[in-house]
Amino acid sequence: MLARIAHELYWLGRNLARAEFTARAVEAVFQAELQGAADALPGVSFGSGGLLAMLDSVTKHVPAGAETLGRLTADAELPGSMLASVERARAGARTVRDVISAEMWEAINTTTLTLRRDGAAGWGAHAQPYVISQYVKQRTALIWGVADRSMLRDEAKCFLDAGGLIEVADMVLRMLRIALPSDEVEQADGSALILLQAVGGFHAYLRAGTAPPNAHPVARFLLFERAYPDSVAACVDSLHEVFSTADAGPRNSKPVLRVSRLAADLDFQRRALPDGAELTGICTSTQHELARIDQDVSERYFAGAVPAGWG
Amino acid sequence: MPAGARDNAAVGSDAIALSTEIYRPPTPGFDELFEHDGSPRPAARALIDELRRLGPEGLLEAGRRRDAVFVQQGITFETSGEDGPSHERPFLLDLIPRVLSGDEWRAIKRGLAQRIRALNHFVDDVYHAREIVREGIVPWRLVAGCPHFARAVHGIRPPGGVYCHVAGCDLVRHSDGTWKVIEDNVRVPSGISYVLENRAAMARLVPELFASYRVRPVEHYPQLLLGALRSVAPSAESEATVVVWTPGPANSAYFEHAFLARQMGVELVEASDLVVRDDVLYMRTTRGLERVHAVYRRLDDDFVDPLEFRADSMLGVPGLVRAYRAGSVAIANALGTGVADDKAIYCFVPEMIRFYLGEEPILENVRTYLLSDPEVLEHVLARTHELVLKPTGESGGRGVTIGPHADERELTALARRVRSHPERWIAQDVVRLSTVPTVTGDGSLQPRHVDLRPFAVFGERIDIVPGGLTRVAPSEGSLIVNSSRGGAAKDTWVLENGEEADRAGVGGFPISDTLPPALPDLRYGRWSEQQQQQQQSTPSSH
Amino acid sequence: MHLAIRYLTEYSYDAPVCDNLNALRVRPATTSSQRCDEFHARIDPEARVSRHLDYFGTEVLEFGIPTGHEQLTIDMRARVVTSDPPPPSEGDWESLRSGAYLDAAGEFALPWEDQPLTPGLQELEAELASATGPLQALLELCALVPTRFEYRSGATYVGSTVTDLLNAGAGVCQDFVHLSLILLRRRGIAARYVSGYLWAAPEDGGADSLEVDTHAWLEALLPGSDGRGEPVWIGADPTNRRLADETHVKIGHGRFYADVPPVKGVYMGAAASELQANVTISRLDPQTGARA
Repeated sequence: MLARIAHELYWLGRNLARAEFTARAVEAVFQAELQGAADALPGVSFGSGGLLAMLDSVTKHVPAGAETLGRLTADAELPGSMLASVERARAGARTVRDVISAEMWEAINTTTLTLRRDGAAGWGAHAQPYVISQYVKQRTALIWGVADRSMLRDEAKCFLDAGGLIEVADMVLRMLRIALPSDEVEQADGSALILLQAVGGFHAYLRAGTAPPNAHPVARFLLFERAYPDSVAACVDSLHEVFSTADAGPRNSKPVLRVSRLAADLDFQRRALPDGAELTGICTSTQHELARIDQDVSERYFAGAVPAGWG
Repeated sequence: MPAGARDNAAVGSDAIALSTEIYRPPTPGFDELFEHDGSPRPAARALIDELRRLGPEGLLEAGRRRDAVFVQQGITFETSGEDGPSHERPFLLDLIPRVLSGDEWRAIKRGLAQRIRALNHFVDDVYHAREIVREGIVPWRLVAGCPHFARAVHGIRPPGGVYCHVAGCDLVRHSDGTWKVIEDNVRVPSGISYVLENRAAMARLVPELFASYRVRPVEHYPQLLLGALRSVAPSAESEATVVVWTPGPANSAYFEHAFLARQMGVELVEASDLVVRDDVLYMRTTRGLERVHAVYRRLDDDFVDPLEFRADSMLGVPGLVRAYRAGSVAIANALGTGVADDKAIYCFVPEMIRFYLGEEPILENVRTYLLSDPEVLEHVLARTHELVLKPTGESGGRGVTIGPHADERELTALARRVRSHPERWIAQDVVRLSTVPTVTGDGSLQPRHVDLRPFAVFGERIDIVPGGLTRVAPSEGSLIVNSSRGGAAKDTWVLENGEEADRAGVGGFPISDTLPPALPDLRYGRWSEQQQQQQQSTPSSH
Repeated sequence: MHLAIRYLTEYSYDAPVCDNLNALRVRPATTSSQRCDEFHARIDPEARVSRHLDYFGTEVLEFGIPTGHEQLTIDMRARVVTSDPPPPSEGDWESLRSGAYLDAAGEFALPWEDQPLTPGLQELEAELASATGPLQALLELCALVPTRFEYRSGATYVGSTVTDLLNAGAGVCQDFVHLSLILLRRRGIAARYVSGYLWAAPEDGGADSLEVDTHAWLEALLPGSDGRGEPVWIGADPTNRRLADETHVKIGHGRFYADVPPVKGVYMGAAASELQANVTISRLDPQTGARA
């Protein structure tokens, strides 16, 4: 398939996943901050400030404040808002309309148009973060579902999925790096419910659960639990699967080899690291590795990403 | 169907009386569906009966469904005002088809094929021996002064010697019923996607109109095109890779580009997808570079290769002409074909047919005046009020002035513009285009002027899709039919066997001997049955 | 004259670029008064060079470098023997309308449509109105243009129009030629743009080797004397106020600059490029005025 089309699909996946992750995180933070209990307990700190820091590269210079969560829903001017991510997804979907299914295009288009309309009704409104987040969560779930049911399981689907997977892994890592306690207070383990809520993994954790939802076990769960689809390890496993399918020669493909190494690495760390061991380091290195994978993917599949134009 | 429409149909036994009641053909003039006396032409009789049964309400209802479907499916066209910004609107399909008998179509088809062969000869000649110039038939200065004369492809003969792979000649029907060619399009003629979409939409929206007819199909066009492209593609060892090259989603005909790529099952590429290495054209895929053998390009010569044409073109593929010159890739249409559909060169097409083919032209030109001749210029300027003036460098109806419809002030301004650059203008006799009944806002029928753009595909031979795009002027009396100027289109029916063929006897559902098995029922049902059996068997064990 | 020409072009890019495609029109032509004996082009990074003659008969060298590089060198060397062309004929204005003249003139007599008719242009046209014949007009033009306009490199750029020259009052040989072409064609004289090299030694000779640039002049089609004989293309150099002679080494001609650019290329990448171009001409035959 054309490199340009694969590239569009990959970013369509990333933008959809980003909108979805932002929605979950905003909802979780909104709930937590309403109850105002965050500073009372020892444990992870993840509020609107942290969320902004996490989305730092796309939300430069927005002060954390009452309006922050609202703006993260439907402020078209804010590149990190759900609306902005969905708009980018729609622009991408438009150029690959013939590759994705008609239903998928319609689902993305409707989501964007509704969000534009309802979002404009005022992101200052009090319940807005909750209402819009709910909507975006439901719609992105629907879009992924439509993709699964209506797209051929071919290269195109692989690149769409790959974009989504790498984005989720990256977002989880970003969140953990912001939220995990620094070294000094490492001993003071506390509640990390908000992290689970922010990725929508609360019930999964409880069902898998051996440990109380404290910071370290939660972080380990989000990093290493291969049975939980939005964990970093599961995303990396799936990435390996989709690239192996899409690649013509996976045995000597740089991105496939790098993903496979990262998967093995995560598995080793899971077994080697004692409970309570420091995890920030591994988050950082894993995120760097994902960035390198992104680079390799560009070079191998997207003809060195989109050319900069003729000089 | 509304009750009123049924009543209408119930009245009808005297066709002539009823047809004048629903439609009055213009006089003088030529109507495609009605005779001068107001009775339906023989081929249209059954159609008119069906239209009467539908009634204004039925037509309006079908129109509403049509608009909804077109917007949803994105079958749209960009319109441009005189200066204003363009905007997208659903393509206007009028629900009353134009009907051509098979015999009439055969003559048109032969005429078009003849004309396209001559144009193809001309392009080859202009870039090689220039025999037609040496014979004194076409002046060299006219050719060399043509804005689309492509010096970069001088001496290059494309695979198969075919230049005009896709051609769309614009035909009009004179009030005496004869067909004339008003314009040739052998660069990137557009509109074929609407021919196919219109037919599909008609079959869904007003299937009853087809009931008494056998209309020759059009949907095989993409396969014809693909076949032609494959036949000229220079690939010895394997099946040729064909692509459709679009300037991008911003182009007004992007819908058609995507449509054709999808229908042919080939990639829709943009310039950034293509690269030339060592005289060979490749596309960038996820598995590296893949060779391309034939390009159906939907952009003008000027933009294809910044090394050879406009250096500032970012839409182009540097080195494409080099690959083309090396013969490693076929480009359709060939580069440089614009010299053949220039409005000044148009005057010479009948001569070309005689010169290259030794035949008499089957289809005539509209009488045209070349204004580079000072005597002709004066003659034309003295009677601008009865002629059509067209700038040679424009297309899509831009800059055209229809003398009888212009006021004194416009004509004076026009004369000044023409006089400053007479070689950039031609004048033509006004052709009173034929009309077809067209549905208006209230569901009634009114005459609208139409032209016809059939589409030809030239590969190993010339194939012409039956019918073509019938373009409709936007208002009563208007003679400008370009869709970019707000005109609509009609489905064009070419009938089998020349006459209206009776469909009775063909209909009915084919009944096969082997019926599919009955639909399976819920599993739960069978399980309970077994339980019953056990229960039943229980007593017997006693 | 026996001349050795070296044309060295070096591009450096501030970041790696790839798919660098170029078309060169640098080879001295072989004509009735000039012969190219040796020609060699070296490309670094190495690339396969393909050649063809373009529409106007100029030899074009084409090459492409697909892989990343930060430097491109084009090193062209040629040896040429030139001689003075025969003296021009003196036809009259009337002959410009003859069929033979128009046939020979072809597209080079067509007006140049893209260039608007500005007042400055009409003024210059008026100055040439009194010329007694086409040759006289050509000679007067060669005197008029360099008198009215200052030769100043940097006053214009490669894409400048004649209007730019008229506004700036200064330009380079390319602009002088474009202006002259318009004036000649408006007078009915067919004229074409010539690209080449010029042995621009001072009158007293002296140097054996010169650093120069590529040069541009023009050729005008002059009718044969007294309406007899074939029309002949005569070279004229409005930058140097004279007709072309053995010091002019022609590469090729076209309607205007864009038909015969010495080097034209595009590359992939957003990097900026820096260009170093040098033409060195060396005289190989004895200085004492020997004619080839």
